[in-house]
Amino acid sequence: MSSPPPGALTAAFIIAGKDLRSELRRRTALVSAVVFAALILVIFNFARDPTSLRAEQLAPSAFWITCAFAAVMALSRAFAVELEHGALDGLLLAPVPREALFLGKFLGNLVFVLVVEGITLPLFVLFFNVSLRGALPGIMLVAVLATVGFVAVGTVFSALTARVRFNELMLPVLLLPFMLPPLAGAAQVTAALLNGRPILESAGWLRLLLVYDITFVTLSLLIFPALFDE
Amino acid sequence: MTSPLSPSASSSFPPSLTSSDPRAAARRALRTGRVLTSIGLLGVFAAYVRAIAFTAVEGTQGPAQKIMYVHVPSAWCAFLAFGIVGICSGLYLWLGDRRLDTFSEASAEVGVVLTALVLMTGPIWGKPIWGTWWQWEPRLTSTLFLFFLFVGYLTLRRAMFDPAERARYSAVVGILGAMLVPFIHLSVYMFRTIHPRPVVLNPEGPTMPGSFVATLLFSLAAFTLLYLGLVTTRYGLGRLRELREARHVSAA
Amino acid sequence: MFLLREPPDNGSYMLAAYTIVAVVLVAYSLTLMVRARNEEQREQ
Repeated sequence: MSSPPPGALTAAFIIAGKDLRSELRRRTALVSAVVFAALILVIFNFARDPTSLRAEQLAPSAFWITCAFAAVMALSRAFAVELEHGALDGLLLAPVPREALFLGKFLGNLVFVLVVEGITLPLFVLFFNVSLRGALPGIMLVAVLATVGFVAVGTVFSALTARVRFNELMLPVLLLPFMLPPLAGAAQVTAALLNGRPILESAGWLRLLLVYDITFVTLSLLIFPALFDE
Repeated sequence: MTSPLSPSASSSFPPSLTSSDPRAAARRALRTGRVLTSIGLLGVFAAYVRAIAFTAVEGTQGPAQKIMYVHVPSAWCAFLAFGIVGICSGLYLWLGDRRLDTFSEASAEVGVVLTALVLMTGPIWGKPIWGTWWQWEPRLTSTLFLFFLFVGYLTLRRAMFDPAERARYSAVVGILGAMLVPFIHLSVYMFRTIHPRPVVLNPEGPTMPGSFVATLLFSLAAFTLLYLGLVTTRYGLGRLRELREARHVSAA
Repeated sequence: MFLLREPPDNGSYMLAAYTIVAVVLVAYSLTLMVRARNEEQREQ
């Protein structure tokens, strides 16, 4: 009489879609994240000595640090809404495999963070007077590679810290070490691209990011169910 | 009737005739740990004597080079400690034996102490040899991140009170953390090859004289023994504590 | 004449490092033993 439970992949997309649609309606998280990112970019500009450090030298680091903080902020909210409304238990009771829950959350978070990065990029070009010069496709590629990596681990930690004390602090403390390889790669490649270097020169970093992504998306997917007592 | 020695006996809490066995096992661990720790401390003392009095001073680097004999073994043990945290975390999620979680916690506590030692001796060694207190080079940076991972692991444990949930969550962090360490190392290595810093002297030199290697290995053995003693002791302590708390819960 | 240079006089660094390691290891070992003994005695 009731329809059969959706397949795992469909369930994932449903979960991701639900999160993104509710975010699109209220937009508070998106607006806060973007404003937060803009503020950091502005402060970066004023926290340097203009005579000793040119804007272009600071630019890649400033952009990626901004994205990192905005992403952590976004991830700390990922499970908070369900928790507040007690919907998490409902989700868990549904006949959805835990992996699908992870996938759905991961995809939702990924899209969200990528959108924040996408909005931050033009701000960054504006504030730091950067000329993209055909570097855009490369920057988008490295942005996706880097973001996938830390959003995967971030989704696991976000679920983990949701019910832990001091969770606003615990999530960054746990997650930031995992952001080093993606951020280092992203910043280095962005800097190289903005300096006009061909993307093939950064193949080493891109390979590292790819391996990191494969490793941690797989690991996160496999380990996520362990968070829920069965 | 479950066998007293099976894992389920130690993780089932109602007091019974079998409850003295896990306690006895924990006390045995404590005793073994105390013995190993004492031997380990003596070993480290012997390593000190050997390094200071019976190993030559390196010609270009001076006595400060001897810091290697405490810095490198500490680092080796620190990474070993986290490797064990990772392995025990994985085994715990697979097998469910609470003792694996207790051992993991013990290794993390000893590991964070050792890591702190590496981070303290590193700059003290670096200043006379490199000229700077710190370098963003792969091993030192990996150790710094190891420290962050240990602290994150231990802080998470302190913020959680349900033992089963704490064990599961810590195991997740432990496994992910252990997988991260090689990536940190690679990232810093790649960063360095693009932005090489002049390393004035390689403290270990292209080839170390045999006597140096011997002293280093001796110190390595001593530190590893001490690490094993400390972890076993801490494990015994952890087991006694959790068995006692479990009895209070079931008595309530 | 071949002049052999003296090794640099940085023994104080070595002493500092060795002292820190010794103090920390002994202190931690002792506190661990004490904590263990307290826990054992709590059983009685």
